[in-house]
Amino acid sequence: MPAPEAESIGRMRGAGWPGLKGWDVTLPVWIGAALLLVFLMVLPLGAIFHASLWDDKGLSFYRYAEVFTEEAFLKAIWNTIIISFWVGIIAVGVGALLGWLVTRTDLPWKKTIRALVMASFVTPPFLGAFAWTLLAGPNAGALNKWFRALTGSEESLFNIFTMGGLIFVMALYSFPYVFSMIANVCELISSDLEDAAEILGANKWQIAATVTLPLALPALLGGFILAFLHSLSLFGAPAILGLPAGLHTITTQIWALFQYPPRLDLAAAFSVPLLLVTMALIGLQKKILGRRGYSTVGGKGGQKRLIRLGWGRLPVLLLVLSILSLSVFLPYWILLKAALSKAWAVPLTWDNFTLNNFSFAFFQYGDTQRAIYNTFKLGILTATVGTLIATLIAYITNRNLFRGARYLTFFALAPLVVPGIVLAVGLFIVYTRPPLVLYGTVWILFVAYLTKEMPIGFSQAESTFKSIHPELEDASRIIGANRLTTLKDVTAPLARSGLIAAWSFIFIGVIRELSASILLFAPSSKVVSVVIFDLKEEGQVGVIAVLGILLLVVSFAVILAVNWLAGRDVVATRE
Amino acid sequence: MATVSLQGLTKQFAGMTAVDNLRLEIADGELVSLLGPSGCGKTTTLRLVAGFLQPDGGEIKIDNEIISSSSILVTPERRNMSMIFQSYAVWPHMTVAQNVAYGLKFKKLAKADAEQKVERLLNLVHLEALRDRYPGELSGGQQQRVALARALVVEPKILLLDEPLSNLDANLREEMRFEIRRLHEEFRITTIYVTHDQAEAMVTSDRIVVMNKGKIVQVGSPREIFDQPKTRFVAEFIGKTNILVGRMGKENRVSLADGLSVTVAQGAPAAGDGEICVCVRPHSIFLTGDESEARAMADSGYNLFPAVVQRRIYFGDAVDYLLEVPPHGALLRVVSAPSRQFEKGQKVFALAHPDHCVVVGEG
Repeated sequence: MPAPEAESIGRMRGAGWPGLKGWDVTLPVWIGAALLLVFLMVLPLGAIFHASLWDDKGLSFYRYAEVFTEEAFLKAIWNTIIISFWVGIIAVGVGALLGWLVTRTDLPWKKTIRALVMASFVTPPFLGAFAWTLLAGPNAGALNKWFRALTGSEESLFNIFTMGGLIFVMALYSFPYVFSMIANVCELISSDLEDAAEILGANKWQIAATVTLPLALPALLGGFILAFLHSLSLFGAPAILGLPAGLHTITTQIWALFQYPPRLDLAAAFSVPLLLVTMALIGLQKKILGRRGYSTVGGKGGQKRLIRLGWGRLPVLLLVLSILSLSVFLPYWILLKAALSKAWAVPLTWDNFTLNNFSFAFFQYGDTQRAIYNTFKLGILTATVGTLIATLIAYITNRNLFRGARYLTFFALAPLVVPGIVLAVGLFIVYTRPPLVLYGTVWILFVAYLTKEMPIGFSQAESTFKSIHPELEDASRIIGANRLTTLKDVTAPLARSGLIAAWSFIFIGVIRELSASILLFAPSSKVVSVVIFDLKEEGQVGVIAVLGILLLVVSFAVILAVNWLAGRDVVATRE
Repeated sequence: MATVSLQGLTKQFAGMTAVDNLRLEIADGELVSLLGPSGCGKTTTLRLVAGFLQPDGGEIKIDNEIISSSSILVTPERRNMSMIFQSYAVWPHMTVAQNVAYGLKFKKLAKADAEQKVERLLNLVHLEALRDRYPGELSGGQQQRVALARALVVEPKILLLDEPLSNLDANLREEMRFEIRRLHEEFRITTIYVTHDQAEAMVTSDRIVVMNKGKIVQVGSPREIFDQPKTRFVAEFIGKTNILVGRMGKENRVSLADGLSVTVAQGAPAAGDGEICVCVRPHSIFLTGDESEARAMADSGYNLFPAVVQRRIYFGDAVDYLLEVPPHGALLRVVSAPSRQFEKGQKVFALAHPDHCVVVGEG
């Protein structure tokens, strides 16, 4: 074999990569991924199990026994189940209705409605919950005051500090998850499938019952589980609305166990059921959604005829807008009013108008200034590091760069099963003691955020690379570009807008995070969400409103910027 | 300009042998197509030649230099090849002209030279008017022309085409076949063309390599492959065919079931007891309703099958008959010119010259 000749035209050693030859190439990736998993997942979860089982005296199960026998704990578990169940039901009802209306009917103003659903999605639930205390608090709530003014009654119409109120608010900020799921499925079900049933003699209701509904059923169930999981892991809304009524959920109970005198061991034991339920439900959801392939639902030339609502168009539109006014218009209005008033409960007149809340929050009050700085620093840092890691893993798994690469997916998606507060309990236990004391710095928050947001960033990066056909890269290689040049000239420009979207998803997720932050912050590492929660205790309504508006404005600005960038790229990359 | 030599090329995926001990010599300036059903290993072979995959065994040599083996892999960008892809793979973020010019970046040409080359290729594929458009604004056929120009502008030693026409609609596909052959005759670049469409292979190729299950089944000119298929697989894959099953007798006669017999072309195997297949193309069977004409032809050596028309399909440029041959109703498919038509149920005489009755192996 004329090896020297081959040498002269350039050989690439270890090009096969699998096997021993390639160990030097793939090993760092594996070690990196494994380390990542250890630091982000194994250590905190291991710490939870350890702290719940062991102490100086050795192994014992008494903490679990305590958690599952004491009435207060059982009550919290029961409350959580009831609340999450009803949130799931309402979210599916509203989300499915809106998703179907927007995709399959001739409802007007669809773009606006989608934008408003997006706004509900972006609104942090704790902020929505806070706004609703101003709207429907039993005494000073704006809606109750209107009611009294209209009817002359002394009663109050709503009391948001009840289980019903809590379910209502949590459902408002959970339904967008169901909405996007149902809207996607409805866009895949072509009218042909329904027409086929109609030609065979089925009437409108029979079609709905035998074709449309069964096709949408997995998504409805999946949506229910998603909303259920979402409300299971929420901390802010139950803390703001439930605690004043003496209503504990699992998350608020865990938080309470962190208050003085802290009972970390009990908090750990109490985290375990939440973790296990989340894992089980995510497994169930995967099974339900994976069983029937929606790809077969698509098919070529899947025409979609829009169902005519006829005379019902206007009433339906009004219904939709009134639902969205509950999650967007009313809360935003009351926040804006509170931010601009001296006394929020009094009508906003020139006498009552002030900008003091803004100047106080931004320039005078040290806590908010530092929190704003921390929040955006952490947002930018986490989004940047997270996008880099997610991009690397997604590229390797998507292009299957070496044998077993797709198992890296597991590393990136694993944090999905850990609720934020459970993660925080674990991280707290691990990083408050040597060898690595991160508690008291912003870095423990960074680790928490990076873990929590990794699956979202990864999914977005994954779908970005999925949409870039590998032949586009091959085409560049074969006419003379090496791997790096190809990445620079072909892959990077095509992936750009998708990766920017990944960055912004992480960023928005970070700046609104509360359920992990609330256990991990220290006085010097407070973030905006935590400060809002603290100020709530002090009744600083105006400042809270200002901070809430700041979060919303920044989130929307980021989304608009991404849309603008993507829109610009679409012109060139439309297939 | 270059020769390509595949010597015992083998590639496995997860224990499955995708390409199995392939041996093939391709001459300088030749256009060879790899033809076979999906999963036969043709695309894998092409990607091995391109250097996107490394063989598990065997070698690939270009002009007698090894570029691929289980221990050597020259990277794709250093092979002086070009490739055209099934998805076109035209870069959506570059204009037509930028797409075509991209490969010249790596050639160290003077700017004016490069521009001139791009200009010439754009003219050649009739895209000069669209040079500043983005691919998203082009039709499938135009995108394919961009891919062609982009591949040719770098003046590759070897051109690889991976099902380049399979995403085009029927009319355009036919037009592009001739276009590819025209460009090949102009540039005479050694070309490997992967397709599952036999008509495409027929029009474009100097030689056709028929593959099945990772192996080469037959290599030959389009005419050889069509007229003298070696196996039943080749006969059935390339064009329509009748397969008659029987046993080889003496003097090139094959006795079929039902007591019929047929004289086959020279070069048939010796008499034996094993089952053999005879391939008769529907186009090479002559139909007549005139018994005396049929007898005269049978006396001059034609195989004669008296039959009844069971089904007739009119295609405009041809008529497709299904004949039932007594006594047991064996079926024979015949395609003939529309000038002379026979009715359903009519008695006809089917005649096939021994040269067109070819014994093929199983497999």
